[in-house]
Amino acid sequence: MSAELKHEGSLGVRMKRKEDPRFLQGKGRYVDDISLPNMLYMALVRSPYPHAEITSIDIGEAMKVPGVKAVITGKDLDAAGLGWLPTFHGLDKQMVLAVGKVLFQYQEVAAVFGENRGAAADGAEAVQVEYKPLPVVADPFMAKADKVILRPDRERKTNHIYHWEVGDRDSTARALASSPKRIKQRIWFQRCHPAPLEPCGCVAQFDTMGRLQFFVTSQAPHVYRTALAIVTGIPEDKIHVISPDIGGGFGNKVPVYPGYVCAIVGALKLARPVKWIETRTENLTSTGFARDYHMDVEIGATEEGRVTALRVATTADHGAFDAAADPTKYPAGMFGVVTGSYDFPVAHAEVDAYFTNKAPGGIAYRCSFRVTEASFAIERAMDILADELHMSGADLRRKNFIRKEQFPYPSPLGFTYDSGDYHKTLDTALEKIGYNDLLKEQAAKRARGELMGIGISTFTEVVGAGPSKHFDILGIKMFDSAEIRIHPTGAGIVRTGTKSQGQGHETTWAQIVAEELGLDPQNIMVEEGDTDTAPYGLGTYASRSTPVAGAAIAMAARRVREKARKVAAHLLEVGESDVEWKEYKFQVRGVPAKSVSMKEVAFAAYTNMAQNEPGLEATYYYDPPNMTFPNGTYVAVVDIDRETGESKVRKFLAVDDCGTIINPLIVEGQIHGGLTEGFAMAFMQEIQYDSEGNHLNTNFTDYLVPTSLETPHWETAKTVTPSPHHPIGAKGVGESPNVGSPAAFVNAVMDALSPLGVRHLDMPLTRDKVWRAIRDAEAGKKQS
Amino acid sequence: MNLEYSGEEKVAANPAAVWAFLQNPEKVGRCLPEVIDVTVQDQTHVDAVVQVAVGPVRGKFKLKLELSPDPSARRIDVKVSGGGFGSAVDLMAGADVIDAADGTTLLKWSGQAVARGPVAAVGGRVLEAQAKKLIGQTFTNVHQQLSA
Repeated sequence: MSAELKHEGSLGVRMKRKEDPRFLQGKGRYVDDISLPNMLYMALVRSPYPHAEITSIDIGEAMKVPGVKAVITGKDLDAAGLGWLPTFHGLDKQMVLAVGKVLFQYQEVAAVFGENRGAAADGAEAVQVEYKPLPVVADPFMAKADKVILRPDRERKTNHIYHWEVGDRDSTARALASSPKRIKQRIWFQRCHPAPLEPCGCVAQFDTMGRLQFFVTSQAPHVYRTALAIVTGIPEDKIHVISPDIGGGFGNKVPVYPGYVCAIVGALKLARPVKWIETRTENLTSTGFARDYHMDVEIGATEEGRVTALRVATTADHGAFDAAADPTKYPAGMFGVVTGSYDFPVAHAEVDAYFTNKAPGGIAYRCSFRVTEASFAIERAMDILADELHMSGADLRRKNFIRKEQFPYPSPLGFTYDSGDYHKTLDTALEKIGYNDLLKEQAAKRARGELMGIGISTFTEVVGAGPSKHFDILGIKMFDSAEIRIHPTGAGIVRTGTKSQGQGHETTWAQIVAEELGLDPQNIMVEEGDTDTAPYGLGTYASRSTPVAGAAIAMAARRVREKARKVAAHLLEVGESDVEWKEYKFQVRGVPAKSVSMKEVAFAAYTNMAQNEPGLEATYYYDPPNMTFPNGTYVAVVDIDRETGESKVRKFLAVDDCGTIINPLIVEGQIHGGLTEGFAMAFMQEIQYDSEGNHLNTNFTDYLVPTSLETPHWETAKTVTPSPHHPIGAKGVGESPNVGSPAAFVNAVMDALSPLGVRHLDMPLTRDKVWRAIRDAEAGKKQS
Repeated sequence: MNLEYSGEEKVAANPAAVWAFLQNPEKVGRCLPEVIDVTVQDQTHVDAVVQVAVGPVRGKFKLKLELSPDPSARRIDVKVSGGGFGSAVDLMAGADVIDAADGTTLLKWSGQAVARGPVAAVGGRVLEAQAKKLIGQTFTNVHQQLSA
């Protein structure tokens, strides 16, 4: 295997994941597996009220609970200057423990430290908090009225958080007004939650020298270290953050949560290690949610179906704090990609965000900063326009695609798309799924009164944040990094600033190094998540690992190669300029028989380096010149039971173009997982609050995660248009299926219901919602 | 979760006896279903601990009761607030003491309650029915105490 890989390269090889034997044998090491001597456990007291004044907190009974060592409240933290922590984009702050009032149900109110989990939980139960209920602002439309100001702590006494806009407002308005065809639709992308299988948690301890060792479920350990230094005042060299194995993140493990700060304070106060692991309910109710965008989408078009303008006005529900971890300059994330795969002459997008009495968050769930909502909006709207024009969705898309010769394509909302061949991807998908046969089958079924739908989504996303001139988190530019050391025997280690949560970095990163250096990927160890050893990086989210850290790895490997070339020249007894890297080895230019392998050079770098610097290692900090733009065509085929409203996804094909593929097996696995999440959002998942601000989906019986029983069979295929600016042409894929698939599912259901005159339903398309739509449509037809 | 309820209970005692009973905070507190402990703070304030089981949510609720009798109207209003295991309940109830003219008394009651937290979320499917049952049980207990 290794010899074959060495000679044929490592890119595009379906290598099994190196990390899987560890996971499959139950030998992963997660935060909750960490147990330190003398460790205490923490439990949080949370508010049952979504909006209430705290009139008193009595910890007396809690302190009497056997095993309880301490209770801290917001007042304690406030007195120590730790009452609030900054949110990641730096535009708001969030209470650590509530002071004065609570702003959402399940907000953190007090932290209890006990000798074991039971003592901490019993202590939390015994803390007596008296509340005086305040009026609840249950949605952003109520918030707009400013009748109840939720955040009097802010300078601006309004629930309005920000207005953001991009594009040409006036030209778009004129173009829409003069367009012969025009559609407008309110599209709500519901509030949902990433719900990683492993909830969030941490273990904090201070060593005898006062240095903090912090094990935590973090997708961005270095950013945590810096953020903790800023929040706590502990010098950054005295903080050691370690992210061990992580059981899924999907953006949920990007923010710094109040529980982490409390655990650190407890460890400091009590001089003992403190562990805190969330319950499922705590994870679903208080950590980073996703979406909750109410989008008014308008498209103008000619009679022939050429789009003329796009306008999107969004009302966003951000919850009690603006804790969406967007880059500083992008309060609405990458929503500007809402023009999608289409060549709109003009466009305008604006977002107004509001505080409500709900949990904060908003950008998580496998999405590069609001790309999923943008993609869903445009892909639904294009289907609605197609209906209006009596065209097929495929024909309308084909007519309006950005053509491959237009790349690099400057979008009207400010991005420069790197590459793509949308026509080819669509044609590949339609041919592979047998689109024409499906249309015939659908016509026959419609004639019999059966409901069958074909949904297409031809999405483009923007990932790989990002170029330092535009992108930062807390002021830190969004580069990433890699450090490679090749050992004397040709094995090696690569460390990066990213952190795998299931993406397979231990395999993918090894393959990049192996490809660049002609080594065996099985002997390239990958280490991430330890801030004492890994170079500084911004972490793994927003599909940025391969576009940014993957590029850093390739560039660091090339630096290693350049150093190795000098040693190779010495071994080959020629000048350095006479040595070329070809077929995964160094050879004398024009004399291919005279060559040395990287393995031989590595040994020489430690044993026979002549006048060259010993050793073989390099570091690279990669500042991407542009974002990457993965894209794809997804097709869903759905049958709906007219009597029950149940939608059965009979067929689903995902054709992805993520540029150069490093490991097809991992890419397919990523796509399978993302499609399953997209399926869940389309048909099952919604975080609901009632009018009193009660969170109604606090566990997995009320917030559904599909099992293998419900999950459809996924078919995948690919087209490849490499990114021109990425060292190996890769674009990233982790989030594409989550971004592209919801619209395919919903478009299929709407296509099935179109004979009944149903134009749009918001997700999730539950059985009862679809059944009611069918019933109402049929009743309407009878009446007319 | 908002709950509204109303009902009536015929009590085998005359209105004066019923009215006297309702003004006794210890006795009123003891009529709460599954009551574990009652502590009278003063003539109109009572703390009570009750065992609550709504669907899978089970635990103790600590409640504060505030009684507001209106002798001229022969009406008593009760404000109940409190909670437990991360849940909260706020309840406003009122009962009119009506002379049934046969030596018995009609207690006509109505109220509104708001439940929050796990008791509303997890127990939500059964909460309405359970709440009705508990409130009904409270007045049945009043009836039984007075009839005993």
